Amino acid sequence: MSDAKITRKDALVYGGAAAGGLVVGGAAVAGLAAGVEARKLPQPLEGVEISAPIVDGDLPVEDPSADAWRQAQRVRVPLVPQQLVPPYLEQGHVDELLVRALHDGSDLALLLEWDDRDVDDLDGIRRYHDAVAVQLAATAGATLPPLTMGGPGAPVHILQWRATWQRDIDSGGKTGVEQIYPEVVHDVMPDDVLPPETAQLYWVGREAGNPLSLQNRVTPVEEIVAEGFGTVTHLTEQTARGHGNHEDGGWSVVVSFPLARAGAGSRMEPGSRWPAAFAVWLGSEENRGGRKHISDWQTIALEAQ
Amino acid sequence: MAKVRNWQLGRDMEYPFAAERPPKQFTMIMDTNKCIACQSCTIACKSTWTWGKGQEFMLWNNIETKPYGFYPTGWDVNILELLGEQSWEGGTYTGETVFEAAPPGERVLGWAPAEEDWSHPNIGEDEPTGNAEETTYVPDNPHSMMWMYYLQRICNHCTYPACVAACPRDAIYKRPEDGIVLVDQTRCRGYQECLTACPYKKTMFNLETRVSEKCIGCYPKLEQGLQTQCTTACIGRLRLTNYLSPPDEADPRKPADYLVHIRKLALPIYPQLGLEPNVYYIPPVHVPVKYLTQMFGPGVQRAIDIYRNAKDDPELLGLLMLFGSTERIMDTWDVRDGVARAYDEGGEEIVAVPLREPTFVRKFEFATEVEGQPVTGFRHNT
Repeated sequence: MSDAKITRKDALVYGGAAAGGLVVGGAAVAGLAAGVEARKLPQPLEGVEISAPIVDGDLPVEDPSADAWRQAQRVRVPLVPQQLVPPYLEQGHVDELLVRALHDGSDLALLLEWDDRDVDDLDGIRRYHDAVAVQLAATAGATLPPLTMGGPGAPVHILQWRATWQRDIDSGGKTGVEQIYPEVVHDVMPDDVLPPETAQLYWVGREAGNPLSLQNRVTPVEEIVAEGFGTVTHLTEQTARGHGNHEDGGWSVVVSFPLARAGAGSRMEPGSRWPAAFAVWLGSEENRGGRKHISDWQTIALEAQ
Repeated sequence: MAKVRNWQLGRDMEYPFAAERPPKQFTMIMDTNKCIACQSCTIACKSTWTWGKGQEFMLWNNIETKPYGFYPTGWDVNILELLGEQSWEGGTYTGETVFEAAPPGERVLGWAPAEEDWSHPNIGEDEPTGNAEETTYVPDNPHSMMWMYYLQRICNHCTYPACVAACPRDAIYKRPEDGIVLVDQTRCRGYQECLTACPYKKTMFNLETRVSEKCIGCYPKLEQGLQTQCTTACIGRLRLTNYLSPPDEADPRKPADYLVHIRKLALPIYPQLGLEPNVYYIPPVHVPVKYLTQMFGPGVQRAIDIYRNAKDDPELLGLLMLFGSTERIMDTWDVRDGVARAYDEGGEEIVAVPLREPTFVRKFEFATEVEGQPVTGFRHNT
């Protein structure tokens, strides 16, 4: 990620303000440059704890571009292709994730940013989505759970943001066949001729309550517990929130959740340190499931109140 | 990896899970010689199970024109090429299976069809692709040949399914009651690993629910003792829904056991891939044996000889004539006094079919008048 690049949003927000509302070529360009300079962030830190200070103001639980994020240090987390458990990711296409953290005593919010030129937010045949996830030890303890999504008796709490789910929300659930193939023509579909309760049976995944198949969702972040690869279990009560923006060749995603972690693990107390690991999926590179980029364990340090 | 016995290979092989043969295994027998590719089976399946939004590309059952028709495109030639040379010594397969040939970091050797591969079932085989001189029907074209046949395809409900092996979530399983392979619609996370792994390409992705779906062997019908939709809709009466025993428990009174194990007339499809598929084919008798051996294994010539002799083989003929004669699943059958009979599990007769239909000869008549009017001509069967 580079902070020297000018996004469309930068131009609109900073350029306009600095130019005093005048659309004058020279002034606008000067304004843009000043805006970018002012917004430039310090180089990300590496090999340090991800400190989560107490936010001054509202916690940006769903806003990746909130000013509050300037209160948090960026930490560079290296990523490698997952090659611990088959199926492997043969080749990596992103090698770092930039992480920031803030909390307000009741919720923790993470800002996760990585490079990805392509927006992959539809699931189709051999068409996969962009995503990011953080895994946290479910309970505090001297022993780390296995990095591979925990292990038997050593559960992890996972929060995964998916571009598809973000699009589900942004588009009001219009993310199916008509969006994948805008020219699709249907003649008669079950819901044209059958009572709704019967027509619904043809969407078996949805009827069976699979969280992937939901049409109307309230959050782009799925809250999961797992005890190893292949054991992902969707929590009955979903409390995580978040939002992802794609700008300037990369994703900026907020993932936030209550520190109480009901049903997922023990409470993350302010003043405590928690092991956390990250994963990034690039849909354009056919990443999905275990074919992902992973980090080693990091530490999130919550500022004491 | 566990060592499991694959009788179709005549040897043990590597598989990610230990063998758990169900006591009863769903099977289907296809007599390729009778198929006219009317796609009644395809429509029966489609209109029963997969006409919902998100299932547009799904044909759990399809008929393709071999050797150049595919659904999805290139499904068999691609995996054969990936697997490399496949050789048999007698009845034993000496090459590698898709499990044994899995590259590092993969559980199965596979490939993922592109979305357009699913979009044109049988492309180039059921419709003209150009002017006559450019088509496959012109002699001297290497593509041109004097044979083709129709291949009926459903999920093979394999004994060692590649979809089960590849699913990172154990979301696919074989039902213990009849060995039908199902995708747990609550567990699937849409990774599509099964689409890559299944060499027969019979798991499919639902675009609306974002999870995989596949042929369910019409299990709600099976549970009522009925044959599948594709079987009962077949106007060529070439299909038989049945149950198959392991070879050492074969019972000659049971239709599938008789055709597969006793007579060895019905053969597995691409057995060398190692999945022990449970759909069996009576090979087309007019197709070069070399080609058929690649598809159905080393028993092809023997099967063709048996089939060509079926008219003088009343027991076999009787069983073949029971195909398509009843919607109910036959447990046993016999042929007595020129009549083939099928029985249910309680031994009650389900259906009886004469081996030879009675022939009636009508006397030729020449009408000279109809209703008082003089006519000339033949009297037809009116």
